[in-house]
Amino acid sequence: MVAEVGVGTVAAGVAKAHADVVLISGDSGGTGASPLSSIKHAGIPWELGLAETQQVLLLNDLRSRIRVQTDGKLQTGRDVVIAALLGAEEFGFATTPLIAMGCIMMRKCHLNTCSVGIATQDPVLRQKFQGQPEHVINFFFFIAEQVRQYMAELGFSTVDEMVGRVDMLDVEQAVNHWKARGLDFSTILYNPPVPSRVARRCVQSQDHGLDHALDHQLVEHSLDALLSLNSVEINLPVRNVHRSVGTILSGEVARRYGSKGLPDDTVRIHLNGSAGQSLGAFLAKGITLTLEGDANDYVGKGLSGGHVIVYPPRESKFAPEENIIIGNVALYGATSGEAFFNGVAGERFAVRNSGSTAVVEGVGDHGCEYMTNGLVLVLGATGRNFAAGMSGGIAYVFDERGDFAEKRCNVESVDLEPLIEPEDVQLVRGLIARHYELTGSPRAQWILENWQDAVSRFTKVFPHEYKRVLGVSRNQPANVPVEPVAASAVEQVQHG
Amino acid sequence: MGKTTGFMDYSRELAPRRPVLERVNDWFEIYQDFPEEQLRKQGARCMDCGVPFCQTGCPVNNLIPDWNDHVFRGNWKDAVRQLHATNNFPEFTGRICPAPCEASCVLGITEPAVTIKQNEKNIVEHGFLEGWIHPVLPKTRSGKKVAIVGSGPAGLAAAQQLCRAGHAVTVYEKADRIGGLLRYGIPEFKLEKHIIDRRLEQMSAEGVKFVTNAEVGRNVAVEELRRDFDAIVLAGGSEQPRDLKIPGRELKGIHFAMEFLPQQNKRCHGDVLDPASDILATGKHVVIIGGGDTGADCLGTCHRQKPLSVHQFEIMPKPPDERAAHTPWPLWPMQLRIEGAHEEGGIRDWSIATTSFTGDENGNVNQLHAVRVAPPPKFEPIAGTEFTIDADLVLIAMGFLGPVRKGMIEQLGVQLDNRGNVATDENYMSSVQGVFAAGDMRRGQSLVVWAISEGRKAAAGVDQYLKQLDAQPRIESAQTLPNAIRIA
Repeated sequence: MVAEVGVGTVAAGVAKAHADVVLISGDSGGTGASPLSSIKHAGIPWELGLAETQQVLLLNDLRSRIRVQTDGKLQTGRDVVIAALLGAEEFGFATTPLIAMGCIMMRKCHLNTCSVGIATQDPVLRQKFQGQPEHVINFFFFIAEQVRQYMAELGFSTVDEMVGRVDMLDVEQAVNHWKARGLDFSTILYNPPVPSRVARRCVQSQDHGLDHALDHQLVEHSLDALLSLNSVEINLPVRNVHRSVGTILSGEVARRYGSKGLPDDTVRIHLNGSAGQSLGAFLAKGITLTLEGDANDYVGKGLSGGHVIVYPPRESKFAPEENIIIGNVALYGATSGEAFFNGVAGERFAVRNSGSTAVVEGVGDHGCEYMTNGLVLVLGATGRNFAAGMSGGIAYVFDERGDFAEKRCNVESVDLEPLIEPEDVQLVRGLIARHYELTGSPRAQWILENWQDAVSRFTKVFPHEYKRVLGVSRNQPANVPVEPVAASAVEQVQHG
Repeated sequence: MGKTTGFMDYSRELAPRRPVLERVNDWFEIYQDFPEEQLRKQGARCMDCGVPFCQTGCPVNNLIPDWNDHVFRGNWKDAVRQLHATNNFPEFTGRICPAPCEASCVLGITEPAVTIKQNEKNIVEHGFLEGWIHPVLPKTRSGKKVAIVGSGPAGLAAAQQLCRAGHAVTVYEKADRIGGLLRYGIPEFKLEKHIIDRRLEQMSAEGVKFVTNAEVGRNVAVEELRRDFDAIVLAGGSEQPRDLKIPGRELKGIHFAMEFLPQQNKRCHGDVLDPASDILATGKHVVIIGGGDTGADCLGTCHRQKPLSVHQFEIMPKPPDERAAHTPWPLWPMQLRIEGAHEEGGIRDWSIATTSFTGDENGNVNQLHAVRVAPPPKFEPIAGTEFTIDADLVLIAMGFLGPVRKGMIEQLGVQLDNRGNVATDENYMSSVQGVFAAGDMRRGQSLVVWAISEGRKAAAGVDQYLKQLDAQPRIESAQTLPNAIRIA
């Protein structure tokens, strides 16, 4: 988490949510491709965020079950010692070991022209790499040596003893600049008075409650499919305490069948109720997850070939296309599979989608941001900043309010075109029909019934970069196959 | 950055040197012209590094990636402007600088470095050709007067900077022409002297006054300078040569390099010298003692005077052909350098210490006796390697030991540092209030580019000092400097 005021509270929440590790990332540092504005002052120094995190975790007796990491321009053993004393037990180094292996901070990592052969795929330039593992090992030996020297000076024999010993830190008197005169470090060096039973570092692991996961039942019911590829159908109620439903089952599929998964619809799961976070995360091919009800954030995160269908309870009276049915960040980084949502999704829908196909009846802000491949069909209004940084795949938006182009879409990297090409029209119509069939969506039904009027209100969102990959001129009307391009082809082009 | 892949598409190319047989018969510069099209490709090789080591490798912190890009794009006017932003005399450094920038060029880690020096020279020549380099007059005059002693690159850089800052600047030069070592030291074939003259023209037009044949401490009184000027900049160079005190040193025909080189500069200017004091290599067996740049200058000058033979001896072992391991990038590499003069002939030899000279009945040297030695620090003679060679002319180019103390330095009473150079504070002011020092006189023998850097920094110090003079009453107490020795 970015070090900033209030990061401690977030860390406490993360600890309560059973995270194993929390990383407090300071304001400095970044890759050579980062703009200067992201390299400095992106947040506050890790020292401040770390101090706050440690204090909040201690006061709530949460520190014992979460490890605290810090990074953001750690460069010396002294940094490590200070970080440990402020409460970190793990320390991230990136730029300095890179320099040790020969990086000369060309800041050209994004151009594939790293002249010392580090940040490049160019075989000729990679030949020039002169770094050796020993250089990095040597660097870390120096770091360790300095840490040892400080530890000896402070009287510690293990790093564990050091963690959170903020009482060993003092403000250096030599900081004698006039600007430092009004500074008060007492809140950073505050050591909360907690009973001795409260541990100051991680001494136990989190209980993730995996034993109670719904997936154990799913796996049990799916054995026939997993072992003999027979179709199975499962009906279960679901509650919001059930997180990542379908993920352990997908793990079992992947363990046996790898990324190829099972034949479509081999395992059909019908859920009823309000699902917890990450419904169908990383759902494998061959699993179809149908939910009657609603779902929390991260539906279909990393979707890996499975199908996710969500529609409201059959007896509900509200209009689905006007109500939120799934939370934020659905289909984040989905690589393949299909999703049909009979209702509106929250913000950041299909961000970094790289291959899945989705139908939804409205999305919040930042839909399809950084999408690289796949297909998204929105049958209603979008929030602002749609398609920001989108470089691949295609989105079709039913422009209900007529303000999509002016107000909703970020057109920096995409072209907006009408839906006229027969292939496109056929594809969109087919998808809507499918959506209707799977969810019974009234909106889909209405569009199909009024197709002649509706078709003119669709906008095709076509990224410039995607056109370049497909070899489509930006001035000509597009006439391209909409099957997702293999991800490797896109990458190859990007890497030049 | 002009071209992202420029360094992969083009390889390093330098302007060719003229054929040896042609150039040893004249005194003109040895490089041929380089076509603009090729030059722009060389500019494209710059990678516009996030951390431009060239810029910190360069003593004047030239904005190298910026003007390399201008070279690539052909934005010559912008290039000229940016080049002069940090360097008063790129036409000198573009010719005779050993280019520490190129030694620290990031491309140099894996491939031949960008041709920074060549780009610099061509930018400034473009500027002169197009008439873009004209006098820059100050907007206001301060009414303050500054004397500059010495008209080498440090003195000239300080003079130009101070004049442009609005002060009235007078440059004193003990020789008969302005330019210091640029004029009398660096041979014509490395720097044709009209290159200096056109820059002096600009400076004169800007208002700098030049006084020649004026040796401060001899025919110009130190007191006069102290009285007439608000500040003085000492830029008299490091002129005291290191001598070789061995038997036979008193023989005729053994000279310091700096007795020999200026004579030829004068001849090239058309001056007629007194035949009695002529030092010429013509028809002689010459031995140059010292394997550095001054030695190479002697070598090239000798070749053009048609000697019978020339040897150049160096006491240090022969350096490696490639960058030595103890001078990794971006340090200045210890490695064998082959200058233009070395291509022209002569025999270079290393690990040699001269032990004595012997002469004929008239007291003229005719033989040099030497021995091979072990590597430093002891340079122990290796028994059985003694040898003797013919030598009618011996030139000593063994470096310099700091400024000449007698005269101006003694009379001013400035403190010296423990290497015998003028000690200064961080504003380049010496122990005497209002007396500044720059260049070799302050840092010891060094490069032209360091002299320019020092001149500029000293000028900044002087300017700051002169502004303070207006603000507060003058304090006469001399500042004491650490590690400084007062010369009695």
